[in-house]
Parts: sequence; structure tokens; C-alpha cells
Amino acid sequence: MSNTDDLRWVSQLTLLGDKSAFDKLTCKYQSPIRRFFLNLTMGDAPLSDDLAQETFIKAYLNINSFKALSGFSTWLYRIAYNVFYDSARAQKHYADLDEYVIDNLHQTQNEFSAEKMDIYKALKILRKEEQMAVLLFYMEDKTHNEISKIMNCPLGTVKTYILKGKEKLTVYLTKAGYGN
Amino acid sequence: METKENDKLLKNFFSEQKQEIDDNGFTKRVMRKLPESPNRDWIVWAFACIGILFSLVLGFNSGAIQNGLMFFEHIPIYYLLAGIFCFPLVGSIGYYFVQNQSY
Repeated sequence: MSNTDDLRWVSQLTLLGDKSAFDKLTCKYQSPIRRFFLNLTMGDAPLSDDLAQETFIKAYLNINSFKALSGFSTWLYRIAYNVFYDSARAQKHYADLDEYVIDNLHQTQNEFSAEKMDIYKALKILRKEEQMAVLLFYMEDKTHNEISKIMNCPLGTVKTYILKGKEKLTVYLTKAGYGN
Repeated sequence: METKENDKLLKNFFSEQKQEIDDNGFTKRVMRKLPESPNRDWIVWAFACIGILFSLVLGFNSGAIQNGLMFFEHIPIYYLLAGIFCFPLVGSIGYYFVQNQSY
């Protein structure tokens, strides 16, 4: 399924109010958006599903503001980015919870916890902006330009986030014996 | 050189951790939560009616429709019947090619 499909479904939704077109868009993008949140929330599956749901509802409500200047995927990630930061600001969810509580939450709530602990541990050593840029670049295969649009910051800043993230992660993974 | 190796290390690490998440009713839950939007099918019908009306008025005023009808009156009935019977045949061939293309 290509970007042409995305544009066709968006047109069906905006011009005809055809909800089934949005159903197809949600079905196509639910996995990457939920995975993105799952990694950002360090494996909190219920929270990431709530955030993903909010993202899709906001996308539906603001579909008329999609001008197709960038891909639908980039636009959707931009909404996801805002939803995540709004949620983090409102709840101060991560700042107020200590490490012990987070670890316990993972054990009970995250169905992938055993396999995913490595990535969450690795991501924890990065700043939030670096996490975001690194995840979008390495996990979601977004280009520097797309990430700059998603995070609404200059291209140079994005490159710096990725570079710093890469340096920290390389040191961490090498120390952890990964790749040997 | 080292940068390339680091890049490869990270790419391998993230691709190993990449997972596809099953829908498990997520899309249905989202669709249930969407607010009702007004049905805008009438826009298509309204524009279609306006278009047909416009072309009829234009056709009658310019005499194109009258000319067309006169043209059909002078066609031998066998030609018309042949045309009508060819229609399903051409349609079936077209349908066959479209179906073949989609697989």
C-alpha cells in the first residue's frame, strides 16, 4: 500500500465523509504508531494504546488541515509527537515515577517485557528528544527531513540529536556486549 | 569507518527489536470513538444533477441532441442490434483483463 492509497483514503474522508476510508488508514498505521508510543513509554502498553487512540482521533478531527505537503505518515507522526508531549507535560508521568515503579509497571503491563527490556534500558540513557529522533530514524525509518518536520525543529538539530543518541547507544551496547 | 560500524550496530539492534503489533480490535475501538460526521453523499448527487441538467439545456439549445436523435433514426435496425449484442461481449473481455491485472 502506497502513499497514493493514503491520499485516496484522505480524499474519500474529506470530500465524502467516508468513515471506512479512515478505518483503512487506522488499520495501516496502527502498528507503527503503537510501536512508537510503546518505545517512548518504555513498554507501558495500556498507556501507549491510549496515546495511539488519541492520535488517531485527533487525526480524524483535523483531517481537513492535512495539506499533503508531506506524507500522511509524517503528518500522523507529528500529531503523535504532540500527543506524547502534551501527555508528558500534563501528567509529568515519567519525571515523577521512580525507576523501581517503572520496572514493576513493565513486569505487569508489558506483554513484550522479556524481549524488550534491552531496548528500554538502552533508550533510558538518552534524553527525550534524542530518544524521539533515534526511534524515528532507526526504528521507523524516517529521513532527517521528515524527522525535522515531525519534531518541528531545524534539520541541524535533528542531526545533532541522532548523532548524540548514536554515540551514547554505541557505548552502551558495546559495554553490554552486544554485537560481539 | 568507525561511524559506519556504529551505524550498522545500531541498525542491527533496532531491526532486531522492531515488532509488528497485531491490531487485536484496536482499529474497531478507534472507529467506535470517532464522532459522527454528517453524510456528504448529497454533494456528489447534487453536482451530478446540475451537470446533467446543464448538458441537457446546452444540448437542446445547440440542437446537438435533436441531431443525435435524427442520426439514430436513420441507422438500420440491424446495426443497432449488433451494437447492443456486442456490448456484453466487450464488457466481459474488459472485465477479464481487469481481473487478470489485479492478481
